Amino acid sequence: MKAAETGRVSSVRILAIAMAALVAAPLLLAPVVARAADDLKIALVAPLSGRWARQGQLKKMGAEMAIAEINAQGGIKSLGGAKIVLREADAGDSVEKAVSAAQRVLTGRDKISAGIGAWLSSFTLGVTEVAERLEVPWFTLSYADSITERGFKYTFQSSPVSSLQAEQALDLVVDLAKKNNQPIKKAAIVGDNTAATVFFFKPLREKLFKAKGIELVVDEIWTPPLADATAIVQKLRSTQPDIVFYGATNFPDSIQVLQKIKEFGVKVPIQGVGAWLVTPEYVQTVGKELLDNIMSVVAAHPLKGQEDLVKRFKERTKEPFMTQDPLMTYYHVWLIKEAAEQAKSYDPKAIRDAIAKLDLKSGPAANTLLPGRIRYDERGRRVGATPIIVQWQGGEPFTVVPADYAMRKPIWHGGK
Amino acid sequence: MKMVGPERRADAPVMAPQTPQRSSRPGKAGALLGLLPIGLVILLGLAITFALRERYHHRVLTLVLVWATMGLAWNIISGYAGQTSFGHQAFFGIGAYVTVLLIVGFRLTPWVGLIVGAVAAVIAAALIGFPTFRLAGIYFALATLAYPLIFRIVMDFLGYQEVAIPMMRTAPVAYMQFSDPRAYDLLALAALAGTLVLSHWVETSRLGYALRALKENEQAAEAAGIDTFRAKMLAYMLSAAPAAVIGVVYTHAILFVVTPEAVFGVLVIVQTLVVCLVGGVGSKWGPLIGSAIMVPLSETLDATVGDRLPGIQGVVYGGALVFVMLFAPEGIYWRVGALWGGRRTPDGFTDAVGTTPVTAPIVLTVSGRASVERGVPLLDVRGISKTFLGLQALDDVSFAVRGGDIVGVIGPNGAGKTTLFNVLNGFLPADAGDVRYRNERITGLRPSAICGRGIGRTFQVVRAFPHLTVLENVMVGAFAREATPGAARARASAALAAVGLESRADVVPGGLTTLDLRLMELARCLATAPDLILLDEPLAGLSRDGVDTIVTLVRRVQDAGISVVIIEHTMYAVVQLVDRLVVLDHGRRIAEGIPNEVVRDPAVIEAYLGKRWLRRIENNHMGGPDIVMGGPDMAPHTPRRSGHPGEAGPPLDPPRSGHPGDAAAPLDPPRSGPPGDAAAPLDPRRSGHPGEAGPPLDPPRSGHPGDAAAPLDPPRSGPPGDAAAPLEHPPVDPC
Amino acid sequence: MALGDLLQYLVTGLLVGGVYALMSIGLALIFGVMRVVNFAQGDFMMLGMYLAYFLATGYGIDPLLGAILIIPPFFVLGLVVHRVLLHRATGRGDPQRLMDTQLILTLGLSLIITNATTMLLTPTPRGIRTSYATKAFVVGPILMNQARSYAFVMALLLAGAVYAFLTRTDAGKALRAAADDPEAAGYQGIDVRAMHGLAFGVGIALVAAAGGLLATYHPIEPTVAVNFIVLMFVAVVLGGLGSIPGAFAGGLVIGIVQSLTLLVLPFQLQNVGVFVAFLLVLYLRPQGLFGQRLRAV
Repeated sequence: MKAAETGRVSSVRILAIAMAALVAAPLLLAPVVARAADDLKIALVAPLSGRWARQGQLKKMGAEMAIAEINAQGGIKSLGGAKIVLREADAGDSVEKAVSAAQRVLTGRDKISAGIGAWLSSFTLGVTEVAERLEVPWFTLSYADSITERGFKYTFQSSPVSSLQAEQALDLVVDLAKKNNQPIKKAAIVGDNTAATVFFFKPLREKLFKAKGIELVVDEIWTPPLADATAIVQKLRSTQPDIVFYGATNFPDSIQVLQKIKEFGVKVPIQGVGAWLVTPEYVQTVGKELLDNIMSVVAAHPLKGQEDLVKRFKERTKEPFMTQDPLMTYYHVWLIKEAAEQAKSYDPKAIRDAIAKLDLKSGPAANTLLPGRIRYDERGRRVGATPIIVQWQGGEPFTVVPADYAMRKPIWHGGK
Repeated sequence: MKMVGPERRADAPVMAPQTPQRSSRPGKAGALLGLLPIGLVILLGLAITFALRERYHHRVLTLVLVWATMGLAWNIISGYAGQTSFGHQAFFGIGAYVTVLLIVGFRLTPWVGLIVGAVAAVIAAALIGFPTFRLAGIYFALATLAYPLIFRIVMDFLGYQEVAIPMMRTAPVAYMQFSDPRAYDLLALAALAGTLVLSHWVETSRLGYALRALKENEQAAEAAGIDTFRAKMLAYMLSAAPAAVIGVVYTHAILFVVTPEAVFGVLVIVQTLVVCLVGGVGSKWGPLIGSAIMVPLSETLDATVGDRLPGIQGVVYGGALVFVMLFAPEGIYWRVGALWGGRRTPDGFTDAVGTTPVTAPIVLTVSGRASVERGVPLLDVRGISKTFLGLQALDDVSFAVRGGDIVGVIGPNGAGKTTLFNVLNGFLPADAGDVRYRNERITGLRPSAICGRGIGRTFQVVRAFPHLTVLENVMVGAFAREATPGAARARASAALAAVGLESRADVVPGGLTTLDLRLMELARCLATAPDLILLDEPLAGLSRDGVDTIVTLVRRVQDAGISVVIIEHTMYAVVQLVDRLVVLDHGRRIAEGIPNEVVRDPAVIEAYLGKRWLRRIENNHMGGPDIVMGGPDMAPHTPRRSGHPGEAGPPLDPPRSGHPGDAAAPLDPPRSGPPGDAAAPLDPRRSGHPGEAGPPLDPPRSGHPGDAAAPLDPPRSGPPGDAAAPLEHPPVDPC
Repeated sequence: MALGDLLQYLVTGLLVGGVYALMSIGLALIFGVMRVVNFAQGDFMMLGMYLAYFLATGYGIDPLLGAILIIPPFFVLGLVVHRVLLHRATGRGDPQRLMDTQLILTLGLSLIITNATTMLLTPTPRGIRTSYATKAFVVGPILMNQARSYAFVMALLLAGAVYAFLTRTDAGKALRAAADDPEAAGYQGIDVRAMHGLAFGVGIALVAAAGGLLATYHPIEPTVAVNFIVLMFVAVVLGGLGSIPGAFAGGLVIGIVQSLTLLVLPFQLQNVGVFVAFLLVLYLRPQGLFGQRLRAV
C-alpha cells in the first residue's frame, strides 16, 4: 500500500512538473528581442504552417526582399532613415488561427504601423475585421469582392476583385484568340468550388459568355479533393471546346486534371484563373512539357522591365522564378514605405490617410502592378487594377498580356 | 380468490424507508450547494475578464470559454450518456450558419438568430439521432461523423463558401458587434454558465441517472425501466442546443466570417475532443479544465515559437496530447481526483457478514395500476417461436402465469430458457406468437415499456452498473415509478431494506459478493414495483446459505403478491419453490404441470439425461425425481462456449462449466470464498459474454474489449443471434 | 448514356478504389486486432510517399518497386511506435475509455508527424514523374490509366499476400486468434501484446506501401493525409469493422460509388454519395456489406 501510494505521489509530481514545463517551455524559448524604437513595424499574417504554408513562405520572401532593399537604401527618409521591420504571425490552417495571429501581432509589444495578409480570402475577411477595429491599415491580395464591400476604412485591396477580373480576363482572352484567328465559340468551365474560383466563374456563367456569344459546353465544378478527373476530361474530349477556364486551386487535383488531359490526348487551350497555376512545384511535379502553353489570369506577375527584380529574387531565394505571392508582398512593403514617407509618421492612422490620398506614379511599387499608377478609391480598391495573363513557356511562366508589358509573345493552341 | 396482502393497495402511499437515511437528501439547500462551484467558476471568469488588459488575452479567454462550452455540450451526450459523437460540430455549424444567414438575408439580430439556430440544431439532433441511435459505440461515432461532412459539402455546393458578417455600425450591440473585447468574454461566459447549469441539472436529475446507467449497461438499464432510446435522444437534443449557441458566439467573437471548413470542419470536433478527453469525460469540470489548459497552451505556442519556427507549435501540442494520454489516460480531472482523493471503491468484502437478516417487508406500490388478484390469469404466453439463422431457439412455446404463482422454467442447456425470457421482457422480438399480460398484448413493446407495465427481470449473470453505488443501482429501477431523485432514493432504500442490503447502500458493486449482487439486482427489480418478476437462475453461483436466502426472499416476494417466473438449474430448490413447472428442450415445451409430476415425466428425464439414463431408471425402478434432483449439474450436453468465434453454437444458455474463472456450479463454494470468486460476476467481461442473454442486446460499454465489441463487431462470428445483432436490436429500435 | 461510358465509369471507379483498398486494409488490421482507431494512419501513408519519393529521386528506384522496399522499414517503425506509445493504451480496461485515450494519442501523433514533416521537408509539394502516370491502356472503348492499373495490381498482390500471411502462417493464425478473442488467445500461450505489435507493424507497413503506390501519380505534401483518412475509415466500415477482405472490398466500393455518383448527382456532391452510402450501410448492415463470410481476421 505504501509503495503504491509513493508511486501515486511521484506520478502526480511527474504530471505536475511536466505540465508546468509544457506551459513554461515556450516562454523560455521565446527570446525577448528589443528593437530600436524608431523602426517601422509591418505585420505579415500568412499561413506559415499547415496546408498553405508554402504560399505563406513565398509571401514572406517577397516582404523580406523589399525590406532588405528599403533598409539598404537608407530606410524611410522622412522618418530619419527609419528601418522597416517585419513581424510575421502564423495564420495556420484555420480562420480562428489567422484571426488570432492578427490580434496577437497587432496588440503585442510592438506598435504596428501597417499589416499585410492573410492569403486565403476567408482569412482576410476575418483578419481585416481585427485591423479595422484596431485602426491599422491592412493590405491584401485576396480577390473576393466582399472584402471591400463592408465599408471598412482600413482595408486596401490591391488585386482586381473577382467580379471585374472575370470580365477583364475574358476580354483579354477573346482578343488574344481573335488575333490568332481562332475565335472562341465554345468554352468550358472546369474547377473546384473554393471561394476565389466560384466568384470568378459566376459572372462568366451567368452573363459574360452570353454577351460575347460564347456557348458554355462543359461546366464541371467539384469539391476538393478530386477523386479522379476521368469524367471531366472525357467531357472535354467529346465537346472539344475552344478554351477551358480552369480553376483547380488544390494542387493534387490540378495535377490529376493535367495528367488526365495528356493521357486522353485532349488538345485545348487552358486558361487558368489564379496564381495557383504558376508555382514552381508544377514544373517539378509534372514537367514542363505538360505545362507549356497553359495560361493563367493573375493579379501580379513580373512585367517587362522587372527582369532585374526577378534576378535578384532568384539569387536571394533560390526559387526558379518569381510569382504573384512574393511580388504582391514586395509591392505592399514598398507601398507602405511610400505612404510612411508621405505621412512622415509611424502612426497607422496617418499612414492610412496617406494611402487614401496617395497617387504614386513611379518607384518600385508603381512599377510592379498595372496600370503603373497607384491610387485607392474610397472603398479601398486599387483604381484601375487590371489582371495579367501569364503563360508557361519552356517551364517558366511569363507575362504575355497586355502586350506592352509582356516578357514573351503569347502562343495560342499550343502552336497547332 | 383472496386479496393479496392488505398493503398492496393501489392507492397506498410509498412506504417510508425502514432504515435511517444514510445520505442526506438533497433538498433546496442541497441543490443550491451543488450550484455553488459553478457560481465560483463564473466569479473567477468575471474576475479574469475585468483583470485582463490586452485585447489578445481577451481573445484567448473567449476561446477558453467557447471551447469549454462546446466540450460541455459534447459531454452531455458523449460523457454522461457514453455515446461518443464525432459529429457534434454539425450543431455548432448549424447555429453559426443559421444566425449569419439570417443577418445577411433579413438583418435579423443574432440575439434572436441564436434562438432560431438552437431550435434548428435541436431539430437536426432529433432527425440525426432517430436513425443513428440504432447504432452503438464506434458505429454510432462514425455515423455521426458523416453528417457534418455532408453539411460541409452541401454548404459549399450552395455557394456559402465564405459569408462575412456584415458590419452594423448603427446598432453594433444589437448585432453582437462589440468594440470592447470584454463583452465577448461575458457573452461566452454566459453561455458557459448556462451550459454548466444544464450539465449540473443533467448530473443530478432522473435523466442523469438514466444516462449513467445506460452508459454502463444499456440492457440492464432498459430492463430496469429506462427507455434508453428516449433518454439518449433527450440527451442528444439537449447537447445540440448549447453547441449551436456557442457556434454563434464563436463566429461573432472569433471568426467574423463563417466558412464551412471553420464551423463544420474536422478541426472543430478535434478541438472539442481534445479539451474533453484531456480534461476528463463525464464530469462538468473535465471540459473546463481541458479547455483552460489546452487553449492557452496552444495560443502560447503559436505566439512564441510558432511565429518564429512555424510548425513547431503543432509538434509540441501533439507531444502534449500524447504525454497527457500516457500519464492521465482518463483525463486530468479524474486522474487528479484519483490521486488526491483516493478511490471511491471501498474494500467492501473484507467484512464478511454483509447481509443483515431480512426484516423489512416488501412493500412496493405504484398508484394508477390495479392490484393483481391471486389466481387470475396474469401472463399468457401463446405459441412463441424464435429462430436464429435457421436454429429454432423457441418453437411454439405456450404457458400461463396466474396472480401469485411461482412458475419454474427448466430445461437442459440450449433449451431456450433465457431466450424465452428475452422474448418475454422485450429484448428479442418473437417470430410468431404473442405474449399477453393483464389482457394486453405486450409483444413488440420496448423492454422499458414492459417493465413499466409491471414485469421486472434479473439476469443470469448479474448486470450491475459498476460505477454507481448499490443504492444508485437500485434507484435506477426506482425511477421507473418516481420522477425525482429524492423519491427514487426513498423507494430504493425501501427495496434495499426489503432484501436486507441496506448496509451496503453506499458501496460500489465492485466489493460485493455474488449473493449481495443478486440481492442488489433483485432490489433493483423490486424497486420498479413489478407484479411479475422473471428471475434468470438467481441461485447460480451461490452457497447453500445463499440459496436459502434467495429462496426465502422469493417466497416473501410471492407473499407480497408478486408473481414469479424462475429459471433454475438447482432442481432441489426449484421443486421446493414453484407452484408449476414448464420444461423446455430444444426450444419446445415438453412438459408443464406441478413439479412432482413433471420431474417424473419420461420425456423430461430423457431430455435431461438421455435415452440411456431413461432406460436405466426404468430398469432399476428407481425414483426418478431423486436421481434427477440429485446431481448438482443436470446438464449432460457437452459444455461449449457458445460465444466462441467461428463456432455456430446455439445462441442459448452458456454452459455451466468450462469457463475460465466460472464459479457458477450450483453447489458452490461459500459466499466468503476466494476473492476471485466473489468478484467474478462483476468482471465486466462476464456480463458482456455473447450468447448469454442475447448478445445482440449487449451494450457496448460492458467492459472487456473483445466482448464489448461483440455486438458492434458483426464479423465476430459468435452465435447465430449475434450476426443479426445490430439489425434487430429491440432496445434501440424506436418503437 | 452509352454502355461504353458506363463501363468506363465503372473501370475508373475500380482503379481509383484499388489504392483506397490497400490503404484501408492496414487500418482494418489494426482495428481488428487491437481495437485501435488510428487517426495517424494517413500520416504514415504520407511518410511512405516521401520515402518512395526519395528512393525514386535519390536512387532512381521506380515507386512501384519502392512501395515494396519501404515495407520493412515501416514495419519496424510500426513496431517501435507500438512499443513506445500504443501498447500503453491498449489491452485491459473500459473499452470506451481506451478508445478515447487512443483517439487523442493517435491525434497527437498525427500532429507531430505532419508538422515535423512540414518543418523538415518544407511544405512544397513534390511529385515523382513516372512515364506511366499520363499513359493509358486501351481496352476496346475503355481507357485504363497505367499508373492506376499498376497500383491496382500491386494492391491486389499485397492484399493477397497479407491474406495468405493471415490464413497460412502460424504467426498469422496467432494474430487472428488474438483478434478474435484476446483472452482465449492468452490462455493458449499467444503473446497478445506481441500480436498487437505485429498487427501495428504490418498495418503501418501496408499503408506506407499504399502511399508508395499512390506516389506514382499523386503529388506528395505533408498534409496529403487529410484527403484520404476519412475515406479509409469509410472503407473499413463498409467492409465490416476489422475485416481485411471487407476493407479491401470497401475501398473498391468507395471508388465505384464515387464514380457512379457522377451519373446522378452534381460533381460537387460526389462525396455526399460516398457518405450517404456509408450511412445506409451503417444503418442497414452495420456488420458491413459483406457480412461475416469474407471475414479473415
